Amino acid sequence: MNKKYGVYICQGCGIGESLNIEKLSEVASDEGYSVKACPALCGKEGVELLKADVAAGVNTLVIAACSPRVLYDTFRFDGCIVERVNIREHVVWSHPRTTWLAPTEEQKDDETFIDHVQMMASDYLKMALAKVEKIKLPEPYKLDTFTKKILVIGGGITGISAAIDAAKAGYEVTIVEKEAALGGNALKWRKQLPTDYPYEKPMAPVIQSKIKELGSYPGIAIKTGTVVARIAGQPGDFTVTFKKPGEKIEFDVPFPLPPEMRVDESGKELEAEKLHARYLEYNQGRVDILTSDPNGEKFGAVVLAAGWRPYQPQENEYAHLGFGVTPDVVTNAHFEEIAAAGKIKRPSDGKEAKSVVFIQSPGQGGGDQDFPYAASVTSLVALKQATYVRADYADGKSFIIYQHMRTPGMTENFYKAVQQDPGVFLTKGQVTKVAKNGAGLIVEADDTLLGKAIQIKADLVVLATGMVPATKDDPVINLAYRQGPAFRDNALFNDYADSNYICFPYETQRTGIYAAGGVRRSMTTEEAMEDATGAALKAIQCLESVNRGVSVHPRSGDLTFPDFFFQRCTQCKRCTQECPFGALDDDERGTPKPNPTRCRRCGTCMGACPERIINFANYSIDSVSSMVKAIKVPSTDDFDEPPLRILGLICENDAYPALDIAGMNRLSWNADVRFIPVRCLGSVNVIWIKDALSKGMDGVFLMGCKHGDDYQCHFVKGSELAEIRVKKIGEALSSLALEPERVAQFQVAIDEYDKIPQMLQEFVGTIEGLGPNPFKGF
Amino acid sequence: MTERLVIEPDLNFIKDVGMLGGEDLKKCYQCATCSVVCPISPDNRPFPRKEMIAASWGLKDKLVKSADPWLCHNCGDCSTRCPRKAKPADVLAAIRAQAISEYSGPKVLANALNNPKMLPILLLVPAVYILIMGTIMGKIFNFQFLNFSPEGTIVHAKMVSTWLVDVVMLTAAGFAALTFFNGVKRFLCDIHQNALAEGKTTQQAIDAGGFIQALIRTIPAILRHAKFNECTENKERGVSHMLVLFAFIGLFIVTSIFFVAIYGLQIHGPYSQLNPVKWLANVSGVALIIGSILLIKTRMSKPDQKSAYKDWLLLGLVLGLGVTGMGAQLTRLAGWAGVSYAVYFIHLILVWFTFAYLPFSKLAHLVYRTVAMTYAEFAGRK
Repeated sequence: MNKKYGVYICQGCGIGESLNIEKLSEVASDEGYSVKACPALCGKEGVELLKADVAAGVNTLVIAACSPRVLYDTFRFDGCIVERVNIREHVVWSHPRTTWLAPTEEQKDDETFIDHVQMMASDYLKMALAKVEKIKLPEPYKLDTFTKKILVIGGGITGISAAIDAAKAGYEVTIVEKEAALGGNALKWRKQLPTDYPYEKPMAPVIQSKIKELGSYPGIAIKTGTVVARIAGQPGDFTVTFKKPGEKIEFDVPFPLPPEMRVDESGKELEAEKLHARYLEYNQGRVDILTSDPNGEKFGAVVLAAGWRPYQPQENEYAHLGFGVTPDVVTNAHFEEIAAAGKIKRPSDGKEAKSVVFIQSPGQGGGDQDFPYAASVTSLVALKQATYVRADYADGKSFIIYQHMRTPGMTENFYKAVQQDPGVFLTKGQVTKVAKNGAGLIVEADDTLLGKAIQIKADLVVLATGMVPATKDDPVINLAYRQGPAFRDNALFNDYADSNYICFPYETQRTGIYAAGGVRRSMTTEEAMEDATGAALKAIQCLESVNRGVSVHPRSGDLTFPDFFFQRCTQCKRCTQECPFGALDDDERGTPKPNPTRCRRCGTCMGACPERIINFANYSIDSVSSMVKAIKVPSTDDFDEPPLRILGLICENDAYPALDIAGMNRLSWNADVRFIPVRCLGSVNVIWIKDALSKGMDGVFLMGCKHGDDYQCHFVKGSELAEIRVKKIGEALSSLALEPERVAQFQVAIDEYDKIPQMLQEFVGTIEGLGPNPFKGF
Repeated sequence: MTERLVIEPDLNFIKDVGMLGGEDLKKCYQCATCSVVCPISPDNRPFPRKEMIAASWGLKDKLVKSADPWLCHNCGDCSTRCPRKAKPADVLAAIRAQAISEYSGPKVLANALNNPKMLPILLLVPAVYILIMGTIMGKIFNFQFLNFSPEGTIVHAKMVSTWLVDVVMLTAAGFAALTFFNGVKRFLCDIHQNALAEGKTTQQAIDAGGFIQALIRTIPAILRHAKFNECTENKERGVSHMLVLFAFIGLFIVTSIFFVAIYGLQIHGPYSQLNPVKWLANVSGVALIIGSILLIKTRMSKPDQKSAYKDWLLLGLVLGLGVTGMGAQLTRLAGWAGVSYAVYFIHLILVWFTFAYLPFSKLAHLVYRTVAMTYAEFAGRK
């Protein structure tokens, strides 16, 4: 592309009043760019001006106006590079002239006057100009072979619903079920929770009618008694090998070497060739992941609906509750089976069970925690099962002792309806003991709503144990990925297959594989069916994005993808190992093999690469480095007391919008900082930090999402990896006689915009304490 | 080792509470808004939250044997503020009705009072009783106690002799007093035990002297309607209730004076309208009518508040007493003999009804609430 530049400066929204537009224009025009200022670029006149220029051949536009997060469509010109310079939110709105004084008439030409706001705007414009020089117009990545078929793993209520939804949308589906028949857990129930208004009574399970409905779609192939041996390839082009459960075949997925096998006797990591030999030995009888199964079936995306199994307590896990001590203490799953078989009877002697106590929380050391893998569904199941006792016996009594009674949404109606039954008794409380009492049981509970420790005679006691996701016991998906066949880090999600609690339901940590139902979290049938729709739609979104060569999520529609300059690759494997999504498979020598449609375009590989050979068309090591170098660092040559210059690398997902919100709210921050947005802190290459410091900037900070247990990183691992890298650079700085405190990382959530000014001020304070960078002016 | 409360829910009790106006009981989710907003609930173990859970768990003994439901004046602040519309005020009223049945034997009678189908029979009893007693006494004393075709100036005693009226009414009152005596004895014992068990009292045993002193302190508060006046929701009801209470007191005084007049001074009625005692009688009669109409109006204007049969029965009875009493007198003065005698006979039936069924009807609160409030005063429950 032959770039033809145009620089446009907007004077609206207070920009014109605050800045000397003439001076700002000179920043670009002195470099030979054509610069046009306009009273309001987003107005009719402004847009027409831009359109006319684009028609006249301008294809690289630098627009100094508002944040790139607003008026996206107004300033969108397909086929052009458009760089937005945020001089509204980040400069003018956040730095009022009442605080940062404008030069008076006499000061106007005074070289020693420091006009902070003007300097800031001019820096941002220079940075944008440096960037557009370096970037390219992205071109989409297209697969050679592409399949639109969707694979659904699991033939329970979720899988069936997902298959139906995908078929309704016109997609071909194959559904695989491990068991000999479809239906899953729902087949074992007497009743299920209500799915329709008024949400008051348990209803007959919908599973049978759903199985029937599934059969009516010609586009759905059903494979029962089948499991996935391996899924190889990438979204849009998966090659899937099926097998019978328990069967051993050569296309069973190979496993990566466990850590203890990767080292020699002295604990040193083995060389690549030796590692590969060991790997082959370890996976004897199984073909390597890079060898494709010629008989495999092609699929474009996968819905993982492998479901759950009831939690089975260990032998002595709940002895204080009588579990394992007497057969009359059962799990809710066992109770459901008893109820499904007929009237509720005691397992010990077959006597009618008319007084049943439902325990929601095990107590004893666990505080008020519920049973493992429990959630609102276990509360609802207890309510449902309480109605069984009442339905079977006119004088039946159901007691529910809970620490949490969770009935979200419309299920509150169900709670109210069950509560209204005179024979259902509910109390918060801590069950301390379940003991035998003749042929029956005695349940003791403390801290109840009755104001006293209580004792209840029971025929049967039911424990509200939870739903264990299938992925806890087995990888299920069996991905032929170098990082291994299973999801990584599911412990962050209590073993469920998930990648972000709040923002991205259905998305797993593997692109193209969408989890729904009990494998994603413990949930009701109604929720599972809704989940199925969500996951099916996600799978379709994936197919349609891959087909157009764009990223699926969270950077939906992004045309770029990582580009490797392999000649300089040192086979260090950092990119392969650090990619949060397992997008890279290295070969026997350790050279990464990219799978662009698995990629989410976070740039973690780019941040990891010590050789800096991984770049995106519009976001590269060089483009950011050039921006850093474009920042004017004032020295004593310019001013007697030059202001500090501090670089902020800002995560685009939460931190950058938070700064915009701060600007919109007219919050102010220190005028010595300059921001560069980054795709994710994981994409931050330490060379940028070194560039900034060696140029004489006084400090560098990274601002991104929270990491750890309650992480908010859009790319799971990015901010965590950045922290590790920042720590390492601290050591390197010491060797240069620079204080490690000059580099820092901050965690912010999008709603913490009000805390940012203080955060920045404190960091600037620290730098002021350290004094200016000694490399300044070199 | 703390003593554990053994839970044995009484499903029938829960159903009965529902039938007596507490049908929304189970909606309670124990937020305790009721106990917080109640202006008269004590700080230590306040009501009605704990009564709500005990009732929904069918723990009958904890409720009917407790003084707390009686400390409630049914002002309705709790029901108005209840986020679940569980109507604690109505639940407590239903519990009180259960307590009345529990302490007033025979139970058959208590149940009949709560059953609208039994009303005709209950009304027939006094009519038949008057006729039988009149006939029997007539035979024994050889005197005409009953005359259904009296002549000359209207004198109600010509139809039913004053002697007969007194015998009939005093036997009813005696029966009521005996029932109350038995009931209150058990009630006091039970509420004391309950207060001991739940830490609601400073007294270990009930001593008569202390209790009577507490009663002397309590009665003025009852007369002043001190507790009623703390309510915010239903303030106007305090005035109506006060009218009715003072009307009854007035009529009691009038009856006592005329009793003395007849048997001591041998002065027989009807008495002159200029007689100051007659003034008191008329003022009380009017107060009774106005008070009961106001109470009925208040109940009708509060669709939120449950009004069970027991409530309407009592209000209807009070209004009936006033209307027939005043009606008999006015028709007598107007000279409408037939109407006047008929209304008077109905009046007699209603008076007997009030006396004899007092321990079984909602009116028994007169005694049980007084006892409970006195106990609370005695036990230092504030």
